Amino acid sequence: MNIHAYERLWLVASMVLIVGFIVTITYGTVGLGITMVDDREETISPDDVDEDDRFQDPRVEQVGENEFEAYVVSMTFLFQPDPIEIPANNEVTFYVTSRDVIHSFTVVGTNTNTMVIPGEVSAMTVEFDEPGEYGVVCNEYCGPGHHDMEGSLIVHPEDEYSLTELSVDAPDQVGPGEDVELTISIQNGLLEDLETTVDVEVGDETLEQDVTVPGGETEQVSVTVDGDDLEPGDAEWSASVDDEVETGTVTIGDDADDGGDEP
Amino acid sequence: MTDLFVDEYPEQARLVRAAFLTSFVALGIGALFGVIQALHRTGVFRIVESTTYYTVLTGHGVFLVITFTIFFLVGLYQWAVTDSLQRGPVDARLTWSWYGLMSVGTLIAAIAILAGFLDDPPDVLGSELSADVLFTFYAPLQANPIFYAGLVLFVVGTWLAGADWFRTWWAWKRDHPGERIPLPTFMVLTTMIMWYISSIGVAVAILAFILPWSLGLIDSLNPTLTRTLFWYFGHPVVYFWLLPAYLLWYIVLPKLSGGRLFSDPLARVVFILFVLLSTPVGIHHQYLDPGISEGFKFIAMTNTMFLLLPSLLTAFTVVASMEHGARQRGGTGTLNWLRALPWKDPAFTGMALAGLVFAFGGFTGIVNAGMNINYLVHNSLWVPGHIHTQVGTAVALTFMAGSYWLVPQLTGNRLVGRQIALFQVVLWFVGIVFMTNSMYRAGLIGVPRRSAEPQYAFDYEVGVGSMTELDVQLALGGVLLFVSTVLFLAIILLTAFNTDSDPLVDGTIPPALSGPEDSPRVLDDLRVWIGIALVLVVIAYAIPLASIVDRGGLFGPDVGPFPVVVDGVMYLQHGVAYVGVLIT
Amino acid sequence: MRISPAKLLIVIALCLVVLVEARTILAFFDVEVSVLEIALVGVVAITALVVWAVRPADEETSEP
Ligand code: HEM
Ligand SMILES: [Cu+2]
Ligand SMILES: [Cu+2]
Repeated sequence: MNIHAYERLWLVASMVLIVGFIVTITYGTVGLGITMVDDREETISPDDVDEDDRFQDPRVEQVGENEFEAYVVSMTFLFQPDPIEIPANNEVTFYVTSRDVIHSFTVVGTNTNTMVIPGEVSAMTVEFDEPGEYGVVCNEYCGPGHHDMEGSLIVHPEDEYSLTELSVDAPDQVGPGEDVELTISIQNGLLEDLETTVDVEVGDETLEQDVTVPGGETEQVSVTVDGDDLEPGDAEWSASVDDEVETGTVTIGDDADDGGDEP
Repeated sequence: MTDLFVDEYPEQARLVRAAFLTSFVALGIGALFGVIQALHRTGVFRIVESTTYYTVLTGHGVFLVITFTIFFLVGLYQWAVTDSLQRGPVDARLTWSWYGLMSVGTLIAAIAILAGFLDDPPDVLGSELSADVLFTFYAPLQANPIFYAGLVLFVVGTWLAGADWFRTWWAWKRDHPGERIPLPTFMVLTTMIMWYISSIGVAVAILAFILPWSLGLIDSLNPTLTRTLFWYFGHPVVYFWLLPAYLLWYIVLPKLSGGRLFSDPLARVVFILFVLLSTPVGIHHQYLDPGISEGFKFIAMTNTMFLLLPSLLTAFTVVASMEHGARQRGGTGTLNWLRALPWKDPAFTGMALAGLVFAFGGFTGIVNAGMNINYLVHNSLWVPGHIHTQVGTAVALTFMAGSYWLVPQLTGNRLVGRQIALFQVVLWFVGIVFMTNSMYRAGLIGVPRRSAEPQYAFDYEVGVGSMTELDVQLALGGVLLFVSTVLFLAIILLTAFNTDSDPLVDGTIPPALSGPEDSPRVLDDLRVWIGIALVLVVIAYAIPLASIVDRGGLFGPDVGPFPVVVDGVMYLQHGVAYVGVLIT
Repeated sequence: MRISPAKLLIVIALCLVVLVEARTILAFFDVEVSVLEIALVGVVAITALVVWAVRPADEETSEP
């Protein structure tokens, strides 16, 4: 076969180019240890998502020092949890599954991007260096509301990050002059101990209490406000730890007092 | 000057005209939908509801990359086979049956898609008539069964078309023992071999899973499996669009430049490489898919890179042939020969500009193929950018330019408005650069594709310029393209009715500079290439498919259907139910 | 005319394309050019091109 000299040269140059590309990409993948979404996770039926430990309560969890896992569920047309909050400079592995059709989980402007296929779990380990709020979108068409499917990812500076959850047990009503007792449960999702202060406000009264919650545990704090300091009627209360706040109302005095605007 | 095609083969010319007519009608509707999208998603002007945007987008995808391209292909190939073998089909009834089958299939699918515009679509075969599933129809999104049935009929039609051309060739071979296959026919046959091998994927996906599932015969399917089967077909289909354009570049463009093809054997090698390599690469569309191991993705990436080879070789041959033509016309110098090319011929200029855009688009394709860079651009607007430089221009503009050369030969009429035709192809070139430049840039900052309203609560980090600027540029490019399409259709329409004129076109194709004689005969032994292609496909796909079935089961881990009907209430309930779950 | 109208049309188109893409490419090298600036450059370049093109070529005496 008669191949022109230039043609031969071109052929060789083309092959060099192609092999060059392959080598570069191989280096990028193997050499730099960038991992791709793959088949390492077990399959899961969309019907079982609600029973699955990871997905029945979509959340972020700390699993080791500087290691977090985020369990995310996509469905028409939202993501759970929303927002997703993670610390900067820590390894975060996202596990994402779908309840219904194919979606994507895409952190806009980054290469944190995966298809989310019902029946499969996409796992992706990433580290965000830049704190800030990132948009999360679904970039695979999933139905008429596809363009409404949006979430957000908040990357907190490492030292401001907490996984604290608060729940408060407070009476709805106390008799006149009775003490008001609030029981505050502080759950610390991080592995290290949480040293913090609980701020409580009832009516015009404020109280403070220091507390240390061991990593992964829940601590209860009881705060009592002297009944004599409170005016009769409805009093607003709030309990806060760091950025978490719970609020409510307690009625002081008898029902009869104010002619029953009770529900 | 030899006889015109229409005088020599009136029956064949009629069929090619019919195929082109269908193709161009689809182009018109597709372009209208395209400009609606370009204006809608940028927020410049919205005439449909955002929920209806996806009906438009499904139509745009299906009408352009299925109907427009493939009807043009069958018309062009019918011309190529007839002209190069100098004989008609063995049985014209078969020819008209495949044309009929393809048309009926298209019509059925089109009805299903367009019913999406109705406020209250009728029920057909037990479900609402609609098909807002886009041209990729990923399950478990579900269309009305007739949409899938239409696609199947269409594909079966193309299979019969291939069979028809093989039959014509066999008949020719009996009369010409020992002769080399004429190059245009060789290109047709190899394209069809690739098509047979690859379209099995989508046929299995539809016939074994999606169609019975949409009819309610089976309850569940494995979305990863149907998706993988789709992409098994989805990459080769891009070469199914591209190879007819290659045929025009190899056969017609050198002639239009005033010379002849540089090397016939190299052209054969290129088409063989496509037969071998275009199928075992489909997984490169699934780099981001869970359930497929990194190793398989890696194999697909390597194969994809080798698939650059035939296109790089084509670039060489096309440029070399053009240079040869220019020098025949008196061109001189290292680059000055470019000036001697027949730039005022819209057929030539259109193809040359298409080739230029294709070369540029090739680079964006390499970015897509790079496994890790893909994560940045996957499903962003970058991808429609790539689509429009490749199929939307390299292919579409070549087809339009080719029509300016072919339609006069098919009708016996002189081309109307040659200057306007030249303006039309140049306008397309400018329009596509405006539109795709914006798409590429928007894609890099994360603007998603396939979205009616890619305006979210957060702001994109636009590096240079602003989002408004990107939007305006995209919309402007879209409008230019639409105007260009309208001009094209008007010119063709006027030409079709320009009956009392003589065409100014010479249909003869000069033989290649280096002919097939001195190339090994094995190049023409199609069985060898079919064999190797099948082996490569098995190597690339047997284990991935087995592993997907092993993981998720043939019918999936109980994945129910999600008919896409624009039923706000349903989605609202859906949403509320889950917000309920969230709160409790 | 120094070049045929067809060639002029194509060169203008290439100009537009180069201008659009140049801005993107320059941005990769941290050179930011605004739309207005590039449009100005475009108008100047294309006007110059047209003026050059329609002047009679040196060897031609004068066009009718
Ligand atoms: C009038 C000219 C055209 C305009 C204005 C136009 C516009 C668009 C726009 C804005 C999109 C993006 C939609 C989105 O992702 O939200 C799009 C998608 C697309 N276009 Fe075009 N287009 C045109 C011509 C073509 C041609 C000629 C082809 C192919 C032959 C083509 C093939 C496609 C394909 C395959 C998609 C992707 C569809 C999908 O994501 O399902 N377009 N077009
Ligand atoms: Cu979506
Ligand atoms: Cu591909």
